[in-house]
Amino acid sequence: MTEEDEAAFDEFLAARSTALLRTAILVCGASQHDAEDLVQHALEKVYRHWSRIRHDNPESYARRVVVNAAISASRRRRVIQEITFARPPDTPAGSPDVELRDTLLTELRRLPARMRAVLVLRYWEDLSENETAALMGCSAGTVKSQAARGLARIRERMGTREGALG
Amino acid sequence: MRLEDELADAMEAHVADVRATPSMGAAIRRRHRAHRTRFRTAGAALVTAAVAGAVPVYLAVNAGPAAAPGPAAGPTADARATQLQEVAVPKVVGMPVKEAVAVMERAGLGATVEGDGGAGGRVAAQDPAAGQRVPAGHGVVLTSAAIPDPSLNPAPTDGPSTGDAAPKIPDDLGDLGDGRKFGGVEFGYLPEGLKWGEGSVKDGFGATSYSTWWVEAGLDPGMYSVQAVVYRGGAATQVAKRMKGYREQGARPVGIDGKQVYIVRAGEAADRIEESGTPTAVWTERRGLAVEVMLSPDYATKLTEDGAEREMRKIIEGLAPTE
Repeated sequence: MTEEDEAAFDEFLAARSTALLRTAILVCGASQHDAEDLVQHALEKVYRHWSRIRHDNPESYARRVVVNAAISASRRRRVIQEITFARPPDTPAGSPDVELRDTLLTELRRLPARMRAVLVLRYWEDLSENETAALMGCSAGTVKSQAARGLARIRERMGTREGALG
Repeated sequence: MRLEDELADAMEAHVADVRATPSMGAAIRRRHRAHRTRFRTAGAALVTAAVAGAVPVYLAVNAGPAAAPGPAAGPTADARATQLQEVAVPKVVGMPVKEAVAVMERAGLGATVEGDGGAGGRVAAQDPAAGQRVPAGHGVVLTSAAIPDPSLNPAPTDGPSTGDAAPKIPDDLGDLGDGRKFGGVEFGYLPEGLKWGEGSVKDGFGATSYSTWWVEAGLDPGMYSVQAVVYRGGAATQVAKRMKGYREQGARPVGIDGKQVYIVRAGEAADRIEESGTPTAVWTERRGLAVEVMLSPDYATKLTEDGAEREMRKIIEGLAPTE
């Protein structure tokens, strides 16, 4: 790595690390601390190949590495998560807005990892079906059906709120 | 409001306050170096151990941030560093690696070599750069490029796996089979699932020293899960001084199988104990023969703290001289 490579990597981190960390938190449903560890681990891979990939869309490479790492981390954590999230909340939240958001996130976390990743990339990152498919290494058709099924499952589990959501 | 919009809002609210820390670059580089197969020199340890003795223990023990090189070291690290004796980093780019390591030693700095050229290459880059002031004992990373040999294939193959994805791994000791027997010792026990890393270094850790490593399935070339170094002669004497340095930093040896073993987390400069360093066991097997075993931080995390200690003990117990 030349000094210029190093400087470019620092610039890349300054511009992208927060977004990647946020994606990781949403995809793997982890705490910020765990997600940071995961992102550092993934970005070490990016750093290792930096001089080769820096001129070739490093952002999409980094995002792919982070999303894949988040999916597999989430698989490992799954059993514990199911136990944690199956418990009802101790106290009802005050504001209905906050309550709705918490419920949505809880339901999001209960989805299978890849399905959750599709929802995060499609609706939070606002990627197209094709972009999401390229990033996850599957077809646009799979993205479409996973997104639809993910939304349907959340809708179903939140059935008591029928009418509130379209 | 549509469910996808509600969901997007909920996700946005959940992560709105999340910011990556500015120290991420330093953490990634530290991780990168920690997982590279190490070509540290025992000579560097000798010089820096003397310095460590002069440093207040709390600095030595908490040397993590101060010992992290690279431009991203934060202001806290700088503030700490000023309390240590500072030296200017010599310029070594262009020199043969062995010579560059010697220059770093004389300057009171540690050296870690990475890159395709290994211990026999030429220094293509250094970090920190020449002229920068760093605390004594600071580790300098030298990127080694292979010295081109015109007698070899004049037209380099243009395969897809060239470049830094496929670093050249030194194999100074040739084919070691399962890698358990080298340098006059035999490793009777290795954790399950590891196989020989198919590489070795002679005198990379001082003269005379031998090193090889074992890997889990799926590791990239140049990475290790467990690495071992056997020190003979002068190199063994220098390791004994490093152990004395560990003692001065508050470490105490553990009695295992009649051996007095220092089990520490060694930092970037191997003589410094660091909280987030590499789990390292080092002991004198007999006069003129010392052994060091390192678990890569990744592998140690996978084993959990208890598991890592258990495996380390079994490796130590299983080691025996063959001559």
